Amino acid sequence: MLRTLTHHPVARRAAAALATLFGVAVFVFVLLRAIPGDQITAALGTEAAALTPAQRSDLEAYYGIDQPLVLQFFSWLGNLLTGNLGYSTRSHESVLELTLRSLPVTFELALLAILIALLIGIPLGMLSASRPDSPRDAAGQLVGLAGLSIPAFLLATTLLSVLASNFGFNPNGQAFAPLFEDPVLNLQQLLLPSLVLGFGIAAPIMRTTRTAVLEVRSNDFVRTARAKGVGARRLQVRHVLGNALVPIVTMVGLQFGYLLGGAVVVEQVFSVPGIGRQVLLGIQQKDYALVQSTVLVIAAAFVLVNLLTDLAYRLIDPRVRAA
Amino acid sequence: MTDLTRTAPIAVPATRRAGRLRAVLRSPSGVVGLVLVGLLTVAGLLSFTGLLPYDPVAQDPPNRLLSPSGEHLFGTDQFGRDVFSRVAAGVGSSVLISVVAVTLATVVGTLGGLVAGFFRGFTDTAIGGLTNVLFAFPPLLLALALASVFDRNWFTVAVAIAVVYAPIFVRVTRGPVLSLREIEYVKAATSTGQGRLSILFRHVLPNIGSIVIVQVTLSLSWAVLTEASLSFLGLGTPPPAASLGSMIFDARTLVEIAPWTMIAPGVAVVLLVVGLNLLGDGLRDALDPRNRGGRAR
Amino acid sequence: MSHRTRIARSALATLSGATALSLVLAGCSDSGSSDGDGPAGGDLVIGVTSDPDTLFPWKATQFQAVNVLENIYGSLTELDSDMTVVPGLAEEWETSDDGLTLTFFLRDGVTFQDGSALDSADVVFSLESIKDEATAAVAASSLAAVESVEAPDEHTVELHLASPDASLPANLASVNMSILSSDDTEEELNGQPNGTGPFTFDDRVSSQSITLVRNEEFWGYPAGLGSVEFRVIPDESAIVSALQSGNVQMAVFDDPLVAQTAESGDVTVDPTAQLSYHALMLNATRGDLADVNVRLAVQCAIDRQQVLDTAALGEGEVTGPITSPAYRSDPQARPCPERDLDQAAEYLADSGRSDVTIDAIVSQGEYATSVNEAQNIQAQLAEAGITLELEVLESGAYVDRWVAGDFDAAVALNGGNPDPNGMYGRYFTSDGNLNAVAGYSSPELDELFAEGRSVEDPEERREIYRQISAHLEENAAWIWMFTSYSYTAMTSSVQGFTAMPNGSLRFLRTTALTS
Repeated sequence: MLRTLTHHPVARRAAAALATLFGVAVFVFVLLRAIPGDQITAALGTEAAALTPAQRSDLEAYYGIDQPLVLQFFSWLGNLLTGNLGYSTRSHESVLELTLRSLPVTFELALLAILIALLIGIPLGMLSASRPDSPRDAAGQLVGLAGLSIPAFLLATTLLSVLASNFGFNPNGQAFAPLFEDPVLNLQQLLLPSLVLGFGIAAPIMRTTRTAVLEVRSNDFVRTARAKGVGARRLQVRHVLGNALVPIVTMVGLQFGYLLGGAVVVEQVFSVPGIGRQVLLGIQQKDYALVQSTVLVIAAAFVLVNLLTDLAYRLIDPRVRAA
Repeated sequence: MTDLTRTAPIAVPATRRAGRLRAVLRSPSGVVGLVLVGLLTVAGLLSFTGLLPYDPVAQDPPNRLLSPSGEHLFGTDQFGRDVFSRVAAGVGSSVLISVVAVTLATVVGTLGGLVAGFFRGFTDTAIGGLTNVLFAFPPLLLALALASVFDRNWFTVAVAIAVVYAPIFVRVTRGPVLSLREIEYVKAATSTGQGRLSILFRHVLPNIGSIVIVQVTLSLSWAVLTEASLSFLGLGTPPPAASLGSMIFDARTLVEIAPWTMIAPGVAVVLLVVGLNLLGDGLRDALDPRNRGGRAR
Repeated sequence: MSHRTRIARSALATLSGATALSLVLAGCSDSGSSDGDGPAGGDLVIGVTSDPDTLFPWKATQFQAVNVLENIYGSLTELDSDMTVVPGLAEEWETSDDGLTLTFFLRDGVTFQDGSALDSADVVFSLESIKDEATAAVAASSLAAVESVEAPDEHTVELHLASPDASLPANLASVNMSILSSDDTEEELNGQPNGTGPFTFDDRVSSQSITLVRNEEFWGYPAGLGSVEFRVIPDESAIVSALQSGNVQMAVFDDPLVAQTAESGDVTVDPTAQLSYHALMLNATRGDLADVNVRLAVQCAIDRQQVLDTAALGEGEVTGPITSPAYRSDPQARPCPERDLDQAAEYLADSGRSDVTIDAIVSQGEYATSVNEAQNIQAQLAEAGITLELEVLESGAYVDRWVAGDFDAAVALNGGNPDPNGMYGRYFTSDGNLNAVAGYSSPELDELFAEGRSVEDPEERREIYRQISAHLEENAAWIWMFTSYSYTAMTSSVQGFTAMPNGSLRFLRTTALTS
């Protein structure tokens, strides 16, 4: 019974995921403490030199960095298990509250970016594949290449300064509007950042689509369908795209996972209060609890998204389901 | 972020080496890529030989923010430094950091993948676990934290990038090694009593060569982008050394009065990445039999 | 983008609400429109790169935190726009003849945001807590001379000193010396500030914004603005964009280039000379630098104007040690006011040393000009045959080394102080708490600083600090370079604001918005 349970693929995946998260926890804990400076010097700057030893030890106790490292680690981990992500001494809020505010922002940003990427990438990929090596293909490939090659920060800063100084369009200069408070402003504020991110992701999606379409079209069943007189358009959409879906879903899942922690630069340039910026700020401020727990949350989201992708993959692809 | 995309491995069966280069040169994108990368690398190499028109870090305040001219091809920046020389030096350090980072990642990652796939058991579990941990860690934040730990210099930055990309090489190589292990001639070699290491390096490694090569070309362009992003965030090679990302960061405030300070490094980084991507495409086409002739369909 | 904690900006300022003209103007502009439900007078948005790292005034050293908190809290004395000490919560004060008792008479009818009245018990509580090491207040050492604090009645507070300290009134004019209600704790105040200042805390969204509203019960003339929002826009060039699109009406920049790009159309930019100073700190206890001739050689080998021109585009002024307007050192009064390589060679010959090598730490990211300054100094010293090895450090690593005094030389931007004793007493007296970092002291200096503290007369004080300044320069304790500007960018609708040499936003209380 126990044997079958531990060998069940889902149980094994879950165990592996937990082990990974534990590894991330250890890693981030050690890494943070290896960065020079602590919370006291981060907060006081050179003024920390004026602290007397007594003041310094009071501050260490205040920030909770007077305990032995092993103790700090396990008390953090123990708190995590009870759902307590810790307390940010900088913003005087629990990390949970901060994360509940910033995670949805990045989540929304990532969703929009993926949506934009799909809207650009799939049609472009199909267009390219419809006539390989034609000017049409070259144009499509060129757009894809641009998406792969233009750094997000370059595109972001250029868009922001050009639009703001020449057209006075700068929704990101206004206070950030949460989605459910002011959806119109919120979407305006996320438009440029998600365009920048989406453009970058469109490239791999375009390429995946193109390759998949070319590959599927060469398969026997498509030839058979064509021989049976299935219309070209229907063929394209039903069969070809249907089969290209598997690699695209994989790609989307991967990209979504990375966006959760990888939108930092764009969040920073457009003042989007997302989770990446939360970590960046935390690293600068040596806000240990904040960085540790947030990185763990991102890692957990990443692992979860991967699991879901895997699941979606099984649902879509009959071959995997059978196996 | 595009610069940190880590795509799934593309399985490429081994082909013979002969004709590969010719195949790359036959694909138009490969040629364009080769030319772009070649030109930029040569310009970058100039910075290591002292053959640049100006010292890339020498300041000349009276001549600040000059527009491009015969004397200063790409103009000068806010400290009167020659933008052309700085861009060349920036490309040089970008190429250097990326090549070192990818080399480190390739060696460590491929070895990890080989060992994990071939020996299985505890080694596999350990390496796989470490890989998973590194994968789950947000890549840019990982590089950022790593780059903050040590004294800042170009090598630290290269190591930080290598740590981010090494796991990809583990993933990409482990799978094929697993299947190679079961192939008849490897089994045969085992039964004839050849040492395991000798089998690993004589029979297994050569067969994953093309997979590794394709991954190297992909990683190079990502490494260039990651290095640029890090220095844009102020965590790349420390100033005054020229770096494309930090040049773009500094130029943001100048873009209206001196657009060349933004355009020159911006175009350089885009061309470098475009070149690496095209070269990678050409190489992939050349190495991947599925694509051979497939394009003509 | 990088968070810039300004160093030692804490020991700074407060300012009187009595700048009559702009006050009246501000008062007029909203007098007709105050019948709405919200406070009238307009809502000002200030763009900042980072939000406060603490809301507890006794521990606030970060620039952004000081700027917010000085508008919420009050201190016994305050600073005017020319850095002179003016009354704050204390209407007046007097020093006993022996200089050992300082009596403060508190203002009547001052209330905290929570409605409770300010009395002498709050002052005693505050000053005693600041002095108590367990509080870890950053201004504790400013009260070193204070032996006890007593409250003879509700409106009077007496400070009994162990030795005279003429700089005390100026030192009390700091947000780190804020008077808190004796009922409050650090824990509570970090969530809900409770001060006596011209604005009260309204709302905060962590790392996004912090909003203050006008304090209708303020003891001075009520502020002209209905509210002030400090909006966090991490990227400086994005703040410029926000100014240009009108989403933000005000911002303060350090970088002249950023300021330059901000100036366009509706946005004006004004430079204000700062008290903080750029210097090459030398550690006279280490290696070759222990020899005064080596330090003097360094001093003579550097053209300060050239450092200023190359590193900071000439945006600033060459300075001596003391930067506060009332006590300013004459930058010409030093050995080699102009660069003199022959003199430098002579000093080096006197020292009998060749191959002088100095290791200097340089911070990256703390402020914009550091690395460029370091490079220029390096190039100039090379011409004099002195090798300066630069160690460029991440700001955390730099601060660690600085705090430990672990350097031969440090390229630094240090905070200034309106009072010269507050500025250098802690560095250059042998028992000063930063003497290990300063790396230099002498019996003459100890004596001069003690004298400076015991003398009240401004003329006499000026003379003493002139001598201190001369002593520091003649011994090349450090190499003082230049002061720079801060740049206040405002849209044309912002009226009545005065920037201060310490970067303080005290004058938000006299500011108004026209529509």
